[in-house]
Amino acid sequence: MSYNPFSLVNKRILITGASSGIGKATAIACSNVGANIILVGRDLKRLTGAYNELSAGNHSYISTDLAEYDNFENIDSECVVKYGKFDGFIHSAGVEISAALQFIEPEQYERLFSINLISGFELARVLTKRKYFNSSGGSLIFISSIRGVTGKEASIAYSCSKGAIISGVRSMALELAGKKIRVNTVSPSIIETEMTRQLFEQIPEQTKSNMLADHPLGFGRPDDVANACIYLLSDASRWITGTNLIIDGGFSAR
Amino acid sequence: MKKKDFFCELKEALEFEDVTFTEKTEFRKIDGYDSLHVMMIIAFVDSKFGKRLTAKQLFSITDVRSLMDLIGIENFEE
Repeated sequence: MSYNPFSLVNKRILITGASSGIGKATAIACSNVGANIILVGRDLKRLTGAYNELSAGNHSYISTDLAEYDNFENIDSECVVKYGKFDGFIHSAGVEISAALQFIEPEQYERLFSINLISGFELARVLTKRKYFNSSGGSLIFISSIRGVTGKEASIAYSCSKGAIISGVRSMALELAGKKIRVNTVSPSIIETEMTRQLFEQIPEQTKSNMLADHPLGFGRPDDVANACIYLLSDASRWITGTNLIIDGGFSAR
Repeated sequence: MKKKDFFCELKEALEFEDVTFTEKTEFRKIDGYDSLHVMMIIAFVDSKFGKRLTAKQLFSITDVRSLMDLIGIENFEE
C-alpha cells in the first residue's frame, strides 16, 4: 500500500461537540481515514447516533457536561486505561448567542467563554499531560470562527470568545512544541448545519441572499471543515503549529 | 508536607516521568529542564505552599534541597 500522509490510522482522537454539526462530520471523516474516535457530547441519544455512523474502528463515546471541568481528569484517565494514549484532540463544542451590545448580559459572556474556550483549554491542559498523550507528539485543533477574525453586529460576545481561542492557541502552540504537540485553530464562516438551517428559517430571505452573496464559493459544508481537520491532525501538517486556518469560501478575501 | 510526597508531587507537576526526585536532584542536569519548568515550579510552590517565588530566586536554586530551603524547610517532615 502506498504512503498516505493524510492517514489517521491507529490515531486516537477525542472530539468534543461530536454529536452534531461540524463535530459529528469531523468524527465521521476522521474515522473514514482510520482514526479511533472518542466522541464527547451532552445528548446521549444524538451521541450514540453519531457513534453508529462512524466507519469501523475502536471507537467510544462519553456523555458529559463540558462546563463541569472537574470531570476531565477522570474522563482522560479512564480513556487512557481503556484505549491507550491520545494522539489528537478537536474542540468543536460551542454555543452562539446573538445579542446587541445593550442587550448582552454578563452571564452570556461567561457561558460563551465557558463552553467555547475554557472547557477546550481545560481539556487540553489535562489531555496533554505525558501520562495521557502519545510521547511521539500529536495535534490539537480548536474550532474557532470567522467571527474571531472579522466583526459582525450583534456578535460581540460570540466574536470575542472565538477570537480568544485564536490568540490563546498561539501561546499554547509555543508551550507544547517541546512535547511535539502541534496546536492550531480552524475558523469557518457559515457552514450549512442543522443549527444554521434553523437560523435561516428565522431571518428574512433577503438577509440570507446577502449573506450568500458575501461568500464567492457559497456556504460551506461540514465536510469542508472536517477535511481541514484531517490535514491538521495528520503527518501532512507536521510543520504547522500556532496557525489559524480560515475556511470561508472567499468571505474574508474581499 | 512529607518529603516523599513533595518529591512525588514535584515530579508529577514537572512531568519528568523517568526522574526519581531526591533532595540531591539537580534541576539543570535533568534532560529537558528549561525556562518553562521554572514557571511551573513557581505555580506549583504557590498552589501547594501559598508562597510566591520570583524567577530570579528560582534561577539561584541548584538542587531540590535548595528549592525546599527557599520554600522553608520547616514545611517538610521525614
